[in-house]
Amino acid sequence: MPSKEDLKHKAAEIIDAKADDLVTIAKTILKNPEPGFRELKTAKLVAEQFAALGMQPRNGLAITGVRADASGSSPGPTMAVLGELDSLIVGEHPHADPVTNAAHACGHHCQIAMMIGAAMALTNNDIVQNLAGRIAFMAVPAEEYIEIEFRDGLRQAGKIEFLGGKPEMVRLGEFDDVHLAMMLHTTSNPAEQQICISNTNNGSVAKRIQFIGRAAHAGGAPHLGINALNAAMMAMTAINFNRETFRDEDSIRVHPIITKGGEAVSAVPADVRMETFVRGRSLEALMDANAKVDRALRAGAMAVGADVKIQTIPGYMPLQQHKGMAEIFRANAVDLVGEDNVGYVNHRGGSTDMGDISHLMPVIHPYIGGAVGLSHGATYVIEDYSLAVIKGAKALAYMVIDMLGDNASQGNSIVGGQRPDMTIPEYLKFMRNLASEETFKGA
Amino acid sequence: MTTPNLSPKLSIEELKKRACETIDKRQKEIIDLAKQVLANPEAGFREFKTAQLVAQKFQELGIQHQDGLAVTGLKGRIPGGAGSGPTVAVIGELDSLVVTEHPHADPVTGAAHACGHHCQIGMMLGATMGLLTPEVISQLSGQIVPFAVPAEEFIEVEQRLEMRDQGKVEFLGGKQELIRLGEFDDIDIAMMCHTASDMGERKFAMGGTSNGHVVKFVRYTGVGAHAGSLPHRGVNALNAASFAIQAINSLRETHKADDTVRIHGIMTRGGAAVSAVPSDVRLEWRVRSATPNAVVENSIAVDRCFRAGALAVGAKVNITTIPGYLPMRHDTKLQDIFRRIAVDLVGESATLVMPARRNRGGSTDMGDLSHIMPACHPYTAGAVGPGHSSEYVITDYESAVINPAKIMAMVVIDLLADGAKQAKEVKSNHRPLLTKNAYVKFQRERAEVAEFDGAA
Repeated sequence: MPSKEDLKHKAAEIIDAKADDLVTIAKTILKNPEPGFRELKTAKLVAEQFAALGMQPRNGLAITGVRADASGSSPGPTMAVLGELDSLIVGEHPHADPVTNAAHACGHHCQIAMMIGAAMALTNNDIVQNLAGRIAFMAVPAEEYIEIEFRDGLRQAGKIEFLGGKPEMVRLGEFDDVHLAMMLHTTSNPAEQQICISNTNNGSVAKRIQFIGRAAHAGGAPHLGINALNAAMMAMTAINFNRETFRDEDSIRVHPIITKGGEAVSAVPADVRMETFVRGRSLEALMDANAKVDRALRAGAMAVGADVKIQTIPGYMPLQQHKGMAEIFRANAVDLVGEDNVGYVNHRGGSTDMGDISHLMPVIHPYIGGAVGLSHGATYVIEDYSLAVIKGAKALAYMVIDMLGDNASQGNSIVGGQRPDMTIPEYLKFMRNLASEETFKGA
Repeated sequence: MTTPNLSPKLSIEELKKRACETIDKRQKEIIDLAKQVLANPEAGFREFKTAQLVAQKFQELGIQHQDGLAVTGLKGRIPGGAGSGPTVAVIGELDSLVVTEHPHADPVTGAAHACGHHCQIGMMLGATMGLLTPEVISQLSGQIVPFAVPAEEFIEVEQRLEMRDQGKVEFLGGKQELIRLGEFDDIDIAMMCHTASDMGERKFAMGGTSNGHVVKFVRYTGVGAHAGSLPHRGVNALNAASFAIQAINSLRETHKADDTVRIHGIMTRGGAAVSAVPSDVRLEWRVRSATPNAVVENSIAVDRCFRAGALAVGAKVNITTIPGYLPMRHDTKLQDIFRRIAVDLVGESATLVMPARRNRGGSTDMGDLSHIMPACHPYTAGAVGPGHSSEYVITDYESAVINPAKIMAMVVIDLLADGAKQAKEVKSNHRPLLTKNAYVKFQRERAEVAEFDGAA
């Protein structure tokens, strides 16, 4: 029976041989960016690639998700290898879609390519025959929590319940039979070096807010109006007045945008809409900040005597990565890029729905370099596809080999060693309780 | 005191001339009185030295008087020698402001006459001297009440609330309190004259109106905590107050121009130490508007802003609303007498009559008095610099003290000579907007204390 090292060597050979194809896949997705729950072209490409590897992909999961499994030769845990399908919307990005402004400003196109690369290696008979358990390759939709209005429309139409791809896949049962999960995200931060082990990410809730005032001629009768824009401004001021109470270690982030700021400059704005996230490192800190934000929004309404509707939408759970898996991943990273090029970051302020999965099972969500520019900005592009896709694919494949090789001894030990924070029914209940709507009358 | 009727009957013009001659003769003494008050500025309900000076002068002039009215007020009484008739009050305000940077500020208290009230004491005593000219007083009917009144400036709210808690006052403005105490019950007509610095070439201005107002004492209670190591445990009362002030500013666009809304205040406590999250922050606020109804509307909106401040950060707020002043309603007939005399003294072109709706924006408790009796509150030149600022000083004491002393003396002569014919006309033509009892009831209804817990 070949050793794990032999299997990794074989995997690397396969991936290297397909390197050009994999980079082409990444660039094809880059040129066809699609935001969450709209990744139809990208999903089709994934399904074709999975089918070409002899797997039976299931499509249309949470609208656009694709899953294909490969079974090892003996029973064992199921490990999910995830790639995120969706782009952002950044109109100024050099690779933005001229019509939709969608753009891969967060490197997800590399995730799909590296996942396919790992699948090419791991579905190879010489490898999969020597693994226990199963590998679930999952192309997941809608990691970026954007277009909230559009997604809420999908929700109201009954097409989804949750607004993020992975929570929706969990709801649909796609993680019921999964025991371990991993993915690998690109990074442009030089401090994170070529491969970066990370620990935690912020959790989040999303809010849709509507301030309702009373319109009036802004020149002739402003005294008859109630200025909803002023209510929104005051609400933002109130949020800022609370920032000093946020602890450093809780990494609270509150960052609203105004999606409608008035109808016409000559009328007192009567309908002003805002979206915000509230993020925090622990659920407790997140819920505390969320309550303060709600209070601040009400204070904005009260300031001018407007009404405010606050809709709270479950976002993502804080990410907590499995330390044992991270150790194993780190050893592979050292093999791939050398000790000096492996970085570590303890906490990142952004949010990912991998956090939700991390409450249900052991997961890792490390980072790989190759990108430059500001993440989510127009300057974020992949410069080094060989690192971001090829070494990324190898890192994923090596990790699966470590977990499921040797009769899945390490995988079994990790699965048996950690009680997840929540069962899937508990998680779904928590998320459903988080969803709320209130109308506060400020007058 | 009664003045025997010794002299032959003089014409009204002759009486005025004699009164003015007395004032001219005693000009230096009258101006020195004003300057002595200037040198001893005292804020409202603390005007002890000033009251003592007035008492001493009343004694020298042989005027029977009461003192200690509404803490520091003095009310003289001079019966005319020509029988009974209406009583006319000539009012002077005792109190100073607090303007620490004023050149004449008290170095300890910061009190300063930045609104010219010292001249009012001078002119009130000067007019009295003129009226006490024996051949003048002997021909007047009714009574003259030279009235030194405390606390026109509505300031030091927290200290006055303490006086209220101690039962020393109920209303926090001097004339309000004197009305409540019944000290205006026996007065039929009231008059005073205020210095002004915005007169241009004019010597006198009359008419127009002033704002009504309510006063707020607002106290935010948060939770103190180390501002460096435990800010998350604190509730910042200063942020609550700052939010409220911004909320008030965000409402300004809703104010109607006709309402002359003025909403302004100061923070009397903004935190105890910079290293601690402020947990006790206090505001004194003023809500002024042209009509009592607009005052009520704006007061409600401002209270909502104060509550919103508490809600913004989860603090508690206690809002004490204190009855303020009513808009000034000049008696047109009384004002016309004043105007004609001013024209005689300084000429038509130096006399301005403002339209009744012209609102100067400020407030005076003479407005309260004007709701229950004929009253006027004209302005005299002589000051420079913005009112209530460190630059407000008197540069022309003849205009600021002597001229109005003469005019007020002559107005009293017009009112009370000839059997007090004109005073009786003013009285019978006047339709008071409120009775005294209705006034006291109205003001008591303005007083309230509201509490709101923004964390509840």
